[in-house]
Amino acid sequence: MTELLLDSQIRVWVFLPIVVITFLSGILRHYVAVLLASQKKVELQQVQDSQAMIRARLLRENGKFLPKQSFLMRRHFFNDENTGYFKTQKRPPAATNPMTDPSVMTEMLKGNVTNVLPMIVIGGWINWVFSGFVTTKVPFPLTLRFKPMLQRGIELLSLDAAWVSSASWYFLNVFGLRSIYTLVLGENNAADQAKHMQDQMSGAAMAMPPDPKAAFKAEWEALEICEHQWALANAENELMGLVASEAQD
Amino acid sequence: MRNDKTGNMAPYDVNLTWQEVRDIFRTWREEKERRSREVVDMWLLTLKPMAHKLGDERFLVLEQVCLAALDCHNLEVADACMITIGRAFPKSLRAHRLLAMRCEAVGDKENAIFHLEYILNEDKTNVAARKRLIAMHKSVGNTTKAISELNEYLKSFMSDQEAWQELCDLYLLHHEFSRAAFCMEELLLSSPHNHLYHERFAEIKYTQGGADNMELAKAHFCQAAKLNPNNLRALFGVLQSANNLAQSAKVPSKKKEYVKLSAWASKHIQDLYQVAGENPVSAIESMFGQMQLTSP
Amino acid sequence: MSRTARNIGAMTTTGGRVKTKLTKSGDMIAYSEGAVRNNHAVVEYCRTSMSALSGGTAGILGLTGFYGFGFYVFAVVGLWALLLLKAGSQWKKYFVNRRSLLTSGFIGGLFTYILFWTFLYGMVHVY
Repeated sequence: MTELLLDSQIRVWVFLPIVVITFLSGILRHYVAVLLASQKKVELQQVQDSQAMIRARLLRENGKFLPKQSFLMRRHFFNDENTGYFKTQKRPPAATNPMTDPSVMTEMLKGNVTNVLPMIVIGGWINWVFSGFVTTKVPFPLTLRFKPMLQRGIELLSLDAAWVSSASWYFLNVFGLRSIYTLVLGENNAADQAKHMQDQMSGAAMAMPPDPKAAFKAEWEALEICEHQWALANAENELMGLVASEAQD
Repeated sequence: MRNDKTGNMAPYDVNLTWQEVRDIFRTWREEKERRSREVVDMWLLTLKPMAHKLGDERFLVLEQVCLAALDCHNLEVADACMITIGRAFPKSLRAHRLLAMRCEAVGDKENAIFHLEYILNEDKTNVAARKRLIAMHKSVGNTTKAISELNEYLKSFMSDQEAWQELCDLYLLHHEFSRAAFCMEELLLSSPHNHLYHERFAEIKYTQGGADNMELAKAHFCQAAKLNPNNLRALFGVLQSANNLAQSAKVPSKKKEYVKLSAWASKHIQDLYQVAGENPVSAIESMFGQMQLTSP
Repeated sequence: MSRTARNIGAMTTTGGRVKTKLTKSGDMIAYSEGAVRNNHAVVEYCRTSMSALSGGTAGILGLTGFYGFGFYVFAVVGLWALLLLKAGSQWKKYFVNRRSLLTSGFIGGLFTYILFWTFLYGMVHVY
């Protein structure tokens, strides 16, 4: 039963074309995404929030280098019950209804157009054109549980699970080629450097978590339990020890 | 490795091909090197006739050349670049910024402010324009205004290191040491491994004076010297602050520690001078002699 | 591997942000965040290339079953050894952690490996 002989025409007209089509459509999708990518307008409020988050995180991580007084002062600024930044800033809940906000809707649409739609369209098309072929065999044994996954489109009970149908071969390609795309496309960044004339260097941290309220709360908690331990208390002895040991070397 | 190609080429090689020039420009752009004269020369000599071959990178190069030309006050080249960019992106604020810079280059401050305010009107989050406006206030000597604007700016962009540094300088101009110290603390938070920040913070604290501040200054001078053992200025700081503390210390055991630190620092400084092969050792020794404390 | 060589040569230890790690002796070692990220990207590039190439090799050789997976493990360890050889005794300068250099991206590489393995195995041995 294992020795199933496939027509070598299948290799030329089904097996290879699926690989090539998947690969090229991935490349094409990348460039379409580059074309459609729009400059996101950043709100001042968002920038402020994200920068405050960064500052609070830095305070948590590096606060030990400051004198205790300064650390407490900064924590007070963020965490005080009445006047603290994380307590007083009231942000509307971020889960905006996509139907009411047209810009969110276009973003979603663009994401769908470039990601989901081609996969469905090309997948459907391949399923239609190349339906019913057994294309290849994976070189390792598989259990029967993989049968519905690898043999989509052919219902043969007696076929070994290692054989792969055309539709499944397409999906294997879609998932396996992802890292190859970064290999091929990540190289020439000049391609997507073109849109930069329009955009601004608006600082390092534009990305803001979708829900500032939850993020604030998390940061507030983290900062609240952060203990201050001055890192420089022993600096002079360390200094003398360090340089002395270097002199010995 | 890359620097072998770009480093030390003050009178640059005329025989470079345009591809090589393009690559050099790219590295300079990425590393934000400011070699304005070379950029302009290389552009005029090698790259300009080939500009059409650059593709989309052309505009990045044009912007780079334009800035360099403004640096050299070569308005002809700058204008040519600006016109090309302006045609391609008539609404771009980034292109508009170049206009503002040109106004500044010829000393037309009012127009420059006008352009910058236009940019800010269009896009409130435009960091470059806001900073430039503040710098303009500073350049006309209106530091009070610059300080208040910068404070306003930092309320929104509170993790902008450059701005904190600038504010620190401005406060120092006004002798507001505690506020300057606050700014330095902010910088320490963002990069605690920069020995220069520690040194600067310590200097401010040292200037403020008082036992607590002196203690703090000593700790930060030590940290700076620890991070970079060759930081002579920090070592002198250690010495000075330790001497100072030893003089005012009440508890004998504390005083002993300070004296020990001061002796260690002075010895280390002498070692450093000796290693460097300089011979002001005798001069320094006499200086130490004046500062040295007679140990009890 | 020529690419690996060139890129490790160009690795930088300068850069803006700094990341730290505490050693056993209590000393703080500072890493430049940008440089670490760059090194990581270069290693990732090598790994993907390695997965694709070794997958192709396994397919052409006609390895099946456990031999194929064994070959992948062999390739991963081989790449790791070559990287460490290239970095030399100075690896601490370039990478925060030696073990994560071996394990990170193991599964992602496996997907690429299996795809190429199946592809070339199918091309050569099935028909």
